[in-house]
Amino acid sequence: MRPHSLLLAAALLAGAPAAVRADLGRGPEERIGHVVEVVRDFVVQQLSPAQHPAPQAIPDAPGIGPSVDLSDLSRPAETERAIREAAPHPGPNLRLTVPNGHARLGDFTIGSAETVTGHLLVLEGNANVYGRLLGNLVSVDGNVVVHPGGVVSGDILALRGTVRDGGGEIGGEVRTLSAAAVPPAPAQAELSALARTGLNAAGIMGVFLTLLTLGAGLVLFARPNLEVVSDTVSHSFGRSFVTGLLGQILLLPTFGMLVVGLVLSVAGILLLPFAVVVYGLFVIVGVVGGYLAVAHAVGETFVRRRMARGVVVGSPNSYRYLLTGLLGLFALWAAWALFGWVPIAGDLVRGAAVLVTWLLATAGFGAALLSRAGVRASFAGRLVPPEALTDEYLWATPQFGVPAARRPDGHTPRGTRRDDASR
Amino acid sequence: MRSIILAGALAAAPLAHAAAQSMRPFTTFRQLHGESRLSAKLDFAAGELRIVSGRSDELYRMTLAYDADRFAPLSRYDAAAGAVHLGVETVGGAGLRVVSGEQIKQLAAVELSPRTDLTLDLTLGAAEGNIELGGLRVSRLALQTGASRTAVHFSRPNGVRCSSAAFGAGAAELVVTGLANSRCDRVSLEGGVGRATLDFTGELTATQQADITMAIGELALRLPRGVPVRIRTDRLLSSFKPSGLERQGDAWITPGFNPAARHLDVTLRTAVGGITLEWVP
Repeated sequence: MRPHSLLLAAALLAGAPAAVRADLGRGPEERIGHVVEVVRDFVVQQLSPAQHPAPQAIPDAPGIGPSVDLSDLSRPAETERAIREAAPHPGPNLRLTVPNGHARLGDFTIGSAETVTGHLLVLEGNANVYGRLLGNLVSVDGNVVVHPGGVVSGDILALRGTVRDGGGEIGGEVRTLSAAAVPPAPAQAELSALARTGLNAAGIMGVFLTLLTLGAGLVLFARPNLEVVSDTVSHSFGRSFVTGLLGQILLLPTFGMLVVGLVLSVAGILLLPFAVVVYGLFVIVGVVGGYLAVAHAVGETFVRRRMARGVVVGSPNSYRYLLTGLLGLFALWAAWALFGWVPIAGDLVRGAAVLVTWLLATAGFGAALLSRAGVRASFAGRLVPPEALTDEYLWATPQFGVPAARRPDGHTPRGTRRDDASR
Repeated sequence: MRSIILAGALAAAPLAHAAAQSMRPFTTFRQLHGESRLSAKLDFAAGELRIVSGRSDELYRMTLAYDADRFAPLSRYDAAAGAVHLGVETVGGAGLRVVSGEQIKQLAAVELSPRTDLTLDLTLGAAEGNIELGGLRVSRLALQTGASRTAVHFSRPNGVRCSSAAFGAGAAELVVTGLANSRCDRVSLEGGVGRATLDFTGELTATQQADITMAIGELALRLPRGVPVRIRTDRLLSSFKPSGLERQGDAWITPGFNPAARHLDVTLRTAVGGITLEWVP
């Protein structure tokens, strides 16, 4: 006895439905496949019998009540949606019209001597066809079995169920639309204002620390460049912003030209992946570095003004400038983190924070472009002679009058005294 | 056996994509009721598509796991025209979603009747295609791919003579093997940017004409040894090494080429890129 015959015999002995016998006329591969299918269905059915409501007809809905058209099943997802809307909770009180057809609740069987004319909708039940159905058949949360001798002249659609062709005749298409492999995640619960504030604050803090770390690295390894970009922002803010804006607009076209140029050069095709990565890195470095340079400029201005007022500043260096500037730039975001939960004001603060951040990042990006990443100091206000720079310091650090008198003796910042500057 | 393996692979697919948000399984098939012809149109925008020869008692079958947030299954048979339209169609849900590619990978397996003469019209978007047409009866084939990687195989001789096989590739990688088995009188390729490999091996039963146009990219021709070949080229900035061929007028031919005998006639139009010839024993 060959293996597929053994399988077939085993399935029959196990009490599998009589449909298996219809397989005898098929090829060996198909027979084995079908027998496995039948046995699987049988075992599943025995182990987990479905709880279906008592079989009953669903009366037509009065007037313009719920109605489902089953004449076109080519878009099963739409049909499913229509049925769900028309019969959200199938039960004994359901009223539903099926144009040119009938609706049933629970298991339904068309006997071998019966002929049902029109479309048939079976909700929460299995449909067994031994006789003839002259129309389409749709089952929801149930299986369809077309037994040997059974005929369905139209299409069959099983929504969240299966269709088994047990040897009957199906004139149309057979479709099964199962439930999603993984149900959609439940909607996220509404967070309390405190939780939202905490989440926002944690996010802001994370970004702040990341930027601070990047900035510290920049100061450590590329301080001269950072200072040139920072000075460019300070001295040519408008020009930097316009350049940054143009740079943003031209980012994509430039990228396109780069790709096309490399492709056209044939040999450059090999460089394309590297060029794409390098271009992306260049943009990121330009924007983030520019933003950090803006923070540096803001911090430097703030610290110098404080010093000018005579406040003692421990060590006015780039690290301090960067920290101070970032704190200043993140003040708006901190305000959003605290008050973001307030219905309209929260959105306004966030909008303002986004706008200011974009504005400064654009200026920073533009300054990075203008200064060629801090290599060229043409717009950094560094073309003035050292004497002028000295005067600037003198202007920023009053030597006479009340502010000078208020400044504690012996704490005049280095480099601001006339004798320091003249060295 | 192939059907069983395919069914197993697809049955396991939902497990592999268990992390997906809402991949839905969908199956459609139609019994064979003596149809002798089928015009099959298949649209598949994204994911992985496989086409193979199916069961002898079914006209077609499609097993699909699709992203219900963005697509809806499509299965429409027109009995009067003898045509079926299968695939997925886009529905709402546009926008950016940050998940891994594997999580939203759709998978479709289409089985076509080996008993019916087929006219195939396939359109693939950002998809990966593995199309095995060996053993089918393809009377005409049109394949249009977007940004995809597609492999078309004629591993066995086509059951009927085929009038044409037309391939259109955008920014794609296309591999077609066993073209002689396709029994197509005309093979055409319109390539945009990318790489194409045309393998003309198989059982050549009649003269086959191939019109190949590539804009930018690489083209590899795999030619069977012993089959008379004539290649005409119209190149702009592309390289071509006619190894194993000799010049005859504006064409390159295999030694002893006789236009009256069964042969392979290739016309190449390329703009930028490289053309490589490989002779297969």
